[in-house]
Amino acid sequence: MLYRVMDKRELPALVRAFMESYEVVAPVKRGQGYVFDVIESPDDIEIGYTQTASSPKKYLMPPTETLMKFDARMNLVQDYVHEVTPRVIFGVHTCDINAMNRLDTALIGGKYVDPYYKAHRDATLVVGISCTPNDKCFCHLWGADEAQFGYDLFLHDIGDKYLVSMSNVEATNILEAACEISEATDEDRIAFRQATRTRQSAFNKDIPDVQDVAMLMDVFHSDPFWEELGGRCLSCSACASVCPTCFCFDIRDVLAPDGKTGERQRTWDACTSPNFAAVAGGYNFRPTGRERVRHRMYHKLNGFMVNHDRMLCVGCGRCVAACKTGINPIEVLRFFKRKGADHAK
Amino acid sequence: MGAFSLITDAEARVPRVVVVGLASCFGCQLQITNAEEHLMEILGQIDVRYWQLVTSEDGVEDFDVAIIEGAVTTRESEETCKFLRAHAAHVMAIGACACTGGVTGMASDYLGARTDLVYDGEAPDACGEMIEPRPVSAVIDVDSEVRCCPIDPYDFVAALQRALYGSNRLPEPRTMCADCKRNETECFFEQGVLCLGLVTQAACGARCVNLGRPCNGCAGMSSAANLEAARLSCETYGVPVESFDKALEMFNQVKLTDSETL
Repeated sequence: MLYRVMDKRELPALVRAFMESYEVVAPVKRGQGYVFDVIESPDDIEIGYTQTASSPKKYLMPPTETLMKFDARMNLVQDYVHEVTPRVIFGVHTCDINAMNRLDTALIGGKYVDPYYKAHRDATLVVGISCTPNDKCFCHLWGADEAQFGYDLFLHDIGDKYLVSMSNVEATNILEAACEISEATDEDRIAFRQATRTRQSAFNKDIPDVQDVAMLMDVFHSDPFWEELGGRCLSCSACASVCPTCFCFDIRDVLAPDGKTGERQRTWDACTSPNFAAVAGGYNFRPTGRERVRHRMYHKLNGFMVNHDRMLCVGCGRCVAACKTGINPIEVLRFFKRKGADHAK
Repeated sequence: MGAFSLITDAEARVPRVVVVGLASCFGCQLQITNAEEHLMEILGQIDVRYWQLVTSEDGVEDFDVAIIEGAVTTRESEETCKFLRAHAAHVMAIGACACTGGVTGMASDYLGARTDLVYDGEAPDACGEMIEPRPVSAVIDVDSEVRCCPIDPYDFVAALQRALYGSNRLPEPRTMCADCKRNETECFFEQGVLCLGLVTQAACGARCVNLGRPCNGCAGMSSAANLEAARLSCETYGVPVESFDKALEMFNQVKLTDSETL
């Protein structure tokens, strides 16, 4: 990986350079929290944000997106151009970069490519930024506290400067044209090492680090714990909405008010929604919160791992804040920890 | 909703529609007219045989779709529902009153005592033969519903089109919080403020929250509502559980009364 050093005071110049040819979205303050939104000026960016309530997933897979248009009377598909905005997602934490990599695996990496997702992804540059974990972060447990790939530039905070990892020619050209960058000194390298150590030690130690989580999901598949956890599900799917890796969707045909034309839309859906598993004949194979919550945790902490060698959960902690009844992977880890402690007695 | 499809070819008759108001403020009927930009296109797809708000002819018997606004509060309105059901291929309930009993439904608990209080013991004849307010679905089978107080004009248009042209869309009893997450609005519970989105049927896209107000539950409780878990949330976030139970009554009294009797 190529890397250079830039002065922090150059950040607005870099953002402005991106703004010349891209829509730039970045973390901004909204109310008490933060959201990713289009910026008007580099001053809008809250680069030291802790976590946004929802993830940048919305730019790669919008909550509702038109797939095609049709003439309802003639039963014909009409011409339709899928609008894609060239965009820079600026200030992305490692959890979200890892989340995008997982979305890539699911939506681009398989036999059937999702062309809508791919079009957005191909038109997007990602500028990462290092971060300090808050009390809900557990990305380090899944190795998502480092971004090995999936970004174009990554800004490691080393005090007054950024150590910049560069993995894309276009983004590097923009960086070089807009900012004074220099070779890293020994001092910079030491500062980088100290920054990574500081981050490592900042994780909430009350979140248990449990080995063999995927296997434990299988081992305790029938434990009454799932009734306890899933029994308090509100069936709102807030968890899936804020999750940077939930990619399930529903497809609906929506008619124009005149009933003559319409469009086919896809919209976010989730395995936590009560009718998600309803099939022909009216049978629902995940009829209660117990099955639905367990299934969701399974996909995050077992199923994806078995197929793709990494957890689908990236430990961003958003669902920890979003779920109003405390259903989240940390509770699953605590359950496994209790099971270990019970055994030790 | 299933097997009903009226316009499948050019020969088919334009569907005949009646719109009837029961106990309500007529606001949902008015909301239909608020789709004014597309009103002529919408009316162009149907033959409006009777619309209580705008027509004066009465006694129409030939129709395909019956749209009912308002709660059933009298024996007479109960008969009206049965009449509509007997003649229509598709019955649609619109608005909170028709779907859940709505605000009208608050009187479903202690009706007698409340009537005495309001009319000093003797209700005028104009009230009709009063019964505990109830949603249309408590009296007859309902094929589709448009929820909320008032309805969204375009939700109504979409429901009408499903009635006219058919749809295999499954109702989704998800509750609302996912909508706030999509909208990226802040959760009221984080500020210790009650919001009924936890148990309310997702239908409006969290419109009130987008305007800075907590959900008051006008879409009615979801069939998947988990009241026990919601009360747990109240405790966790310092919201009095009694205020949650009280607030639920505004649009869910009929359901709450029913579940007490069960």
